[in-house]
Amino acid sequence: MVGGWWSPAVGLSGIGLVAALEVERTDAGREIFFNVQQPWAVYVFMATLVGLLVYGFGRHAGLWLLGKPTPGLRLHPRHRVRNAMRLGLGQEKLRRDPYAGVMHWCIFSSIVVLTFVTAQVALDADLSIHFLQGNYYLFFSFYGDLFGVIGLIGVGMALNRRYFDSYRRLRWDERLEDHLVLWGLALILLSGFAVEALRIGATELAEHESWARWSFASYGIAKLVEVFEFRDGQLLGAHTWAWWTHVVIAFGWLGLVVFTKLDHLFFAPANAYLLRTDAPGRLTTIENIEEREIFGVGQVQDFTWKQLFELDACVRCGRCTSVCPANLAGQPLSPMHLIQDLKAHLANVGPELQRVGHAGGDQRAVATVAMVGEVIKDETLWACRTCGACVQECPVMIEHVPTIVDMRRYLVMDEARVPATAQAALENMEVRGHPWRGTALTRDSWMEGLEDVPMFDGSQEYLYWVGCSGALVERNLPITRSVFKLLREAGASFGVLGQEETCNGDPARRLGNEYLYQILAQQLVETFKAKNVQRVITNCPHCFNTFKNEYPQFDGRFEVFHHTEFLARALGEGRLRPQHRVDSSVTYHDSCYLGRLNDVYDAPRQILEFLPGAAVQEMARSRSRGLCCGAGGGNMWQEEVGERRVNHVRAEEAVGTGAESVVSNCPFCIQMFEDGIPAIQPEEEGRMRAFDIAELLDQAVFGRNGSGAGGGESVR
Amino acid sequence: MHLVVCAKQIPDPETPPAAFRIDSAKNEVIPAQGIAPVLSPYDAQAAEAALRIKEQSGDGKVTVISLGKESAQAAIKQVLAMGADEGVLLSADEFQGGDSYTTAHALAAAVKKLGDVDAVFCGRQAADWDMGQVGVGIAEELGWPSAIIAKDVKADGGSFVVQRVLADGFETVKMAGPAVITVSNELGDPRYPKLQQIMQAARKTVTTWTPGDLGLQPGEIGAAGARLKLEKLFQPPAGGDVQIMEGDTPADQAKALARALRDAKII
Repeated sequence: MVGGWWSPAVGLSGIGLVAALEVERTDAGREIFFNVQQPWAVYVFMATLVGLLVYGFGRHAGLWLLGKPTPGLRLHPRHRVRNAMRLGLGQEKLRRDPYAGVMHWCIFSSIVVLTFVTAQVALDADLSIHFLQGNYYLFFSFYGDLFGVIGLIGVGMALNRRYFDSYRRLRWDERLEDHLVLWGLALILLSGFAVEALRIGATELAEHESWARWSFASYGIAKLVEVFEFRDGQLLGAHTWAWWTHVVIAFGWLGLVVFTKLDHLFFAPANAYLLRTDAPGRLTTIENIEEREIFGVGQVQDFTWKQLFELDACVRCGRCTSVCPANLAGQPLSPMHLIQDLKAHLANVGPELQRVGHAGGDQRAVATVAMVGEVIKDETLWACRTCGACVQECPVMIEHVPTIVDMRRYLVMDEARVPATAQAALENMEVRGHPWRGTALTRDSWMEGLEDVPMFDGSQEYLYWVGCSGALVERNLPITRSVFKLLREAGASFGVLGQEETCNGDPARRLGNEYLYQILAQQLVETFKAKNVQRVITNCPHCFNTFKNEYPQFDGRFEVFHHTEFLARALGEGRLRPQHRVDSSVTYHDSCYLGRLNDVYDAPRQILEFLPGAAVQEMARSRSRGLCCGAGGGNMWQEEVGERRVNHVRAEEAVGTGAESVVSNCPFCIQMFEDGIPAIQPEEEGRMRAFDIAELLDQAVFGRNGSGAGGGESVR
Repeated sequence: MHLVVCAKQIPDPETPPAAFRIDSAKNEVIPAQGIAPVLSPYDAQAAEAALRIKEQSGDGKVTVISLGKESAQAAIKQVLAMGADEGVLLSADEFQGGDSYTTAHALAAAVKKLGDVDAVFCGRQAADWDMGQVGVGIAEELGWPSAIIAKDVKADGGSFVVQRVLADGFETVKMAGPAVITVSNELGDPRYPKLQQIMQAARKTVTTWTPGDLGLQPGEIGAAGARLKLEKLFQPPAGGDVQIMEGDTPADQAKALARALRDAKII
């Protein structure tokens, strides 16, 4: 479940257990509440804590319940339990930052085990089941100390990262509670050792030193203290003080669970359970859109309760923001701040909404600051690339992208506040069936010079879906031709739709116009069904994602392949034979919609391995950590606001590898690189070039002039 | 305040050149396959100007009129979605084949039938034939003042203050209503309709008026009434004599170009 992370501690405990059992039967043990007057105060603390927890979570729950029902939560319970175990308790995502992974595991396991230790003490004392005796007592002493030490290691690592490391993301929204939580934990552990050491010093050291050794850390401290030769009375006095300090801080710290980010203790595993179980590249469908009055999310109560719940899971670790392409380019979006701003807004307006709701009033009429527009600025929402990097990194499983798109839906459909260039793209899709305003090309322009382009008539196995970008943007025409030639060379039975293609609606959906998307999607599903389409090959990862993950929402179920998947298979089966040298160093850029959102990382890399003479150099950010080219989420059609452009940031990373070309699999990525590279390399001489992987494979199979075998330098 | 917007549905001006065909024998544009007609962009700006005044005045009403085929309903619906209140389509076979004059004549008759109109807004010209005559034609027919190529229009009591685009600057004029104003793209982008408005517009019924409803005689409108005769419609031969400079590097290509230019005695 949690992999190798538990093993050192479990191993050590195991050794301790075996060793404890090896010891001759003993009457080891100790007096609970030793040297403590008025121990009943502990029960008052406990009752107060329970009261606090009930009150605190009740208050939270009231706010969550302002939200709408969350669809699909009853689906896939096993998958959800597995998520809760792996991502929640197992903290799988934390390990993407190894330092934080170790640090958090130390703290987490220490808290879990020491809570268990304390619970045993309570059981022993309160239920008078005296099991903290004999050999078990020795083992108990050992693992209690072991996890105390592990906890201190974790806290030490945390203190280091918070105060000494030049680690930025923790300081983006640092609050008093962050210091309180950390120092509180340090004091609990240290005072715990003090209590134990002083008790040992006052009792066991003189009478049963062999027992004391099992509490190895406390024993060590006790031996140190022994050097100073305090009197027993002094030790006992200090013990009392240490004991009460320990108890008070521990209860105080547990009380913080209600008021601080410590609540992630409960919310993170719960949010892992609530995490979507379908494809991450899929956006929710607005059902019965024509009958609704509000289409997007404009006020907090328009969110689902799960979307409100996850706001509380955020611990402000900043991982999302640290990988956000918009943020890296100095654009006005920080996923972490967006979540925190929504959380603060919910706390701000929630109580009034609850009051109005209970009274049966109109929550929408409650005058508040505008959530969309003021709390979350329009430009923040438009800066999102829907690349999913934030969702991928979030250790508490917050899904930022659907929340952002829901607010975009409000901007576009309810408020009609759309940036001019995005509006032009949307209108163009509506009027002309494609987003490329002003193109001089038609959907058959790419066919010029190609013989016998087969039209899909239902008799072929595959539909080759060219897509708007593949047909209507000059740069992408050679890619479309390459894919076409390679499919034919591989002997695929396929056809194209030519003039009958229309936009499948992806940009409309990402830009927030769900209504337009649904119209386009329903039309195309009908067309596909009428033409008996079963299998589709696309050269655009966005079309790929839409057909594969989103059309099933409209009863369009097709087997969908990205051209890299098809070509990699054809190469593997020997149906394509690269025989011309490509001699070039290349770096590979994972498009977000093929990679992160659809988990296709290997097929394109397999193709690269087949290219004779191609040397691949990976960028630091690759595979699931790949950085968006800047075009996703409809940003292909928007003016960027901010310090830099995302494609400049990514082009810089590509150029930094020293490779001659950057290779991708997405028409948007290619356009963004072609546009971004000259900004990084102003000199045309030796400038990096951007290719689709199909173009390189075309060269390798047909030669540089594309004239078939013999057109270029042959490998043989 | 009652404002009228004249909206024309035209072949998509963004039709790719490759898809644009002319039937020279019939002197007609062949509708491009798969490319739907659109609302003339200037007319969308005229609608925007009228809607701004409606919002400014608080209690205005905007009626959109189009003369065209049944398909022009789509152009009317688009303006209704932007916020216009009512739509009227002038549609009948007799209207077909007309020119700017017959169109202005028919639209003016429709404005008269509406009765209480304070201003008529047109695009500065339709983006298909680019004549720019209908707006001023309506003004002439109605005997109203007109201001053309407006970049800003404000209502001021019963008058309209219009900022006009000139070749070398701007001009602000004020005229008493009722008046005709033609609007230019300098006004700014037309609004993006809210979905709720699109759905309301879809539910609205558009009134259709025939020549008979407007009291127009067959000889006054359409081809029969047209005063402008189209003599010849043709596409200039496309392309030219292009020579692509071969070369492995841009430097080689530049050398080849220089040589070719020298051979041609240009340099």
